[in-house]
Amino acid sequence: MIEQIEVDGVPALLAPSNGPAHAGLAFRVGFADEPLTRRGITHLIEHLALHSTGGADYHYNGATGVEYTYFHMQGSAAELGEFLASVCVSLSDLPMGRLATEKDLLQAEANGRNSGSAATMALWRHGARDYGMSSYPEWGLPAITEDDLRDWATRYFTRENAVLWLAGTDVPTGLRLDLPSGARRPLPGRSSALRQTPAWFGGSSGVLVWDAEVPRAARSAVFAGVLDRAMFRELRKEGGISYAAQAGYEPLGAGRAMVTAVADALPEMQGALLGGFVDVLAGLRVGRVDEAEVATVVRKRVEALLHAEEQGARLPGQALNLLVGRDVQSADAAVAELRAVGLAAVVEVAGEASASGLLMTPHERADWAGFTAAPDRSEAAVAGVDYASREQGGAHLIVGSEGVSIASERACVTVRFDGCAIVRAWPDGGRHLVGLDGLMVAVEPTLYEGADDVAERLDALVPAALRVDQPPRDPDRVPKPAPPPARDVAADVSERAYGILALFFRVPLTLLGLIVTVLMASTLTFDTEDVGLTIGIVLFCAGLTVYGGFGIRRSYRRYRGH
Amino acid sequence: MLRAVTRTDAVLLDPTDAYPELRDVRARLAAGDWESVRRMLDEVSPVGRTMLIRYAGTVAESADDGVERLLREVLERDPTDAAAAAMLGTRLTDVGWRIRTQARAQDVSAEQFRQFREWLCAAEAVLIDGTARNPDDPALWTVRLPSARGLEVGLAEVRRRFDRVVPNHLPAQRQMLQQLCPKWSGSWELLHPWCHAQMLATPPGAPQGMLVAEGHIEHCFELPQGTRTDYLTSDSVRDELYEAANRSILHPEFGREFGWVQAVSTFAMVFSLIGDHRSAAAAFALLGELATEYPWDILGDPAEKVRHFRHEAQVGVR
Repeated sequence: MIEQIEVDGVPALLAPSNGPAHAGLAFRVGFADEPLTRRGITHLIEHLALHSTGGADYHYNGATGVEYTYFHMQGSAAELGEFLASVCVSLSDLPMGRLATEKDLLQAEANGRNSGSAATMALWRHGARDYGMSSYPEWGLPAITEDDLRDWATRYFTRENAVLWLAGTDVPTGLRLDLPSGARRPLPGRSSALRQTPAWFGGSSGVLVWDAEVPRAARSAVFAGVLDRAMFRELRKEGGISYAAQAGYEPLGAGRAMVTAVADALPEMQGALLGGFVDVLAGLRVGRVDEAEVATVVRKRVEALLHAEEQGARLPGQALNLLVGRDVQSADAAVAELRAVGLAAVVEVAGEASASGLLMTPHERADWAGFTAAPDRSEAAVAGVDYASREQGGAHLIVGSEGVSIASERACVTVRFDGCAIVRAWPDGGRHLVGLDGLMVAVEPTLYEGADDVAERLDALVPAALRVDQPPRDPDRVPKPAPPPARDVAADVSERAYGILALFFRVPLTLLGLIVTVLMASTLTFDTEDVGLTIGIVLFCAGLTVYGGFGIRRSYRRYRGH
Repeated sequence: MLRAVTRTDAVLLDPTDAYPELRDVRARLAAGDWESVRRMLDEVSPVGRTMLIRYAGTVAESADDGVERLLREVLERDPTDAAAAAMLGTRLTDVGWRIRTQARAQDVSAEQFRQFREWLCAAEAVLIDGTARNPDDPALWTVRLPSARGLEVGLAEVRRRFDRVVPNHLPAQRQMLQQLCPKWSGSWELLHPWCHAQMLATPPGAPQGMLVAEGHIEHCFELPQGTRTDYLTSDSVRDELYEAANRSILHPEFGREFGWVQAVSTFAMVFSLIGDHRSAAAAFALLGELATEYPWDILGDPAEKVRHFRHEAQVGVR
């Protein structure tokens, strides 16, 4: 039973929990609120706010999402109180002395993060704005100032824009949430970069990803479950096309939700993966769904929901609901909504989902399956100064007063200054412009004839607020024109010398692969989360090890002159 | 005397001469009588049904003869009508292939390719829906093979579709055979063992032995002129051809089901090319005046070629 109370003017949900007590403080702010030029600012504030609690010896964390940011901890009532108070103090007075260090930490965290195959979906669906932001790295970090942080915190980390949840017997005595006053911030609009749906674009990871916007409702969640089972059955079990094929459901704002399906395949099976998925989806759309299948999904979801209720795990979701104006839903009501879902409702969602779908194919075209190509080029180039490419068959760079284009005979990509999301600027003259529609023009002076002045010309045209200066690039990362085909340089290196060199790199790399394989494989015995990922990494590293082993043998033979 | 001349000179290439049902189904369709088309389709074997559907769906006179409209109306009334979906899919695919022509890719213009793809996409829209509603219909999955080939969705996807067809469905097997040729996305190393295995999967006397012959014909005509006869008369190819003929058209159980003329006609050409007059004559005897365009059209005018080799076989045996 969830009880609605108020703590220090912050709406709060209290519910008993069978597990240890835990609490969370959430704010209605996330990536979707950030402009690309300040991308990362919410995450940075989250880090700064947690810094002062860093010494404490209890389980806590923070998370920044697309729509919400929250601080969460588990511990005794006294510890919860201490933690929440400390977070609120930090939010009102961010430890700016930590700014540079936390920026570095975020950069490191980003480098180590695997963004996953679904990461680019948001960019294609929404462009470089609002809900498209989750596709982008924290490109705004270098530009974020102390004033920016204070403004952002004042706008979003306020009492009116917060919600608290407590899983335990009581509100910790003397709990204070000393937050500044402000206003509830509504969710940003959902821009679309797609002219028509269902739409497709070709991916590069060999994985198929499909997502669709559906109403936020039990029937949509059941549809996702039915899709998940159909994918497993037809793509994995019977078809043997895919190893990992699954679908999930994620609420989005107050009234919408996203169903996302992901499936992998070996390169030679990718065509069949696309065809198989298209047929799975078509089967659901035309109503070829087993009543028993729907009943199974409903039963499983009811079980999961009741379990979550016991653990207090429904609390965070219900708390976030309050932030977007949804009422708290009791477990009984949620169960009743699930049990009312029948075949017809699932088929109806399948139709809606098919119509709003965005598909990233493993590689190939999906026009034949009724999908429209998602825009990947602009309608027109700007007029302006023209720079010819230094590469054979390369496209022209055009810098005009209204924007920049890269244009070939067949297609062009344009970023207009009045529709620009960010200009990333490097000291070497490189300028990357990203349009609000998600299209990008990379201005690399090294690649164009007589383009030494191009950075200067651009800087005079681009609104200053869009510019984010980047630290110097490694000279190797500054693009160079592709050299005309020449004779193989490697042939100049003697076979023997190459053998020694190769051994020098291959031995440690192979050992590393072996160690990672063994370590990761051993975690399989106790770490039950992300088993799929772990198995994937183990297999990958094992592959590297084997490949390295052969390489060493080859290099050694070469070195010995065999 | 007169009778003998007539018998040896006539070459009936029109499939309706072998299977009068084909003429019948097209007439009923042209009359707009879908109910009677359906009745007919429901009465024949699965292979016969696929053949009738594909024959009726193929553009007979002009693409603008009202057949497409009729089929769309049928589907609007009853989206689960698998035969209508398969026939409409055939029709749209066929219009596309006519625009593309059978020429090699380098001889097809960009505009032809664009329109070709457009028609195939339209066909797939019908067929995806059709197979979704009728996941076990062999005719629908068979029609999805040439559309897949034209859309260049790759061997894995064509195989996936082929695997959805019931086993030993000759029209689908012949489509798959094309896909396994190197000119599409296959290879000879894949094709020949596949043909052999498909044959062995059927009981003796079944027409599937023709797949082995067709595979070798496809292979033979990809070779430089002058080496083709050597290929067909090499020991291994010869052995395979005789094994296949003995297991199909020369087997006592060989029947007269839909597809039999194609099987015998294919072997008649193979035996003619390797100069085995006796076997060729046996095949021509089975055919009587009947024959098929393919594979004789590879040699030139099919009627003329059939007439020539049939005569040669008869003279050679005498």
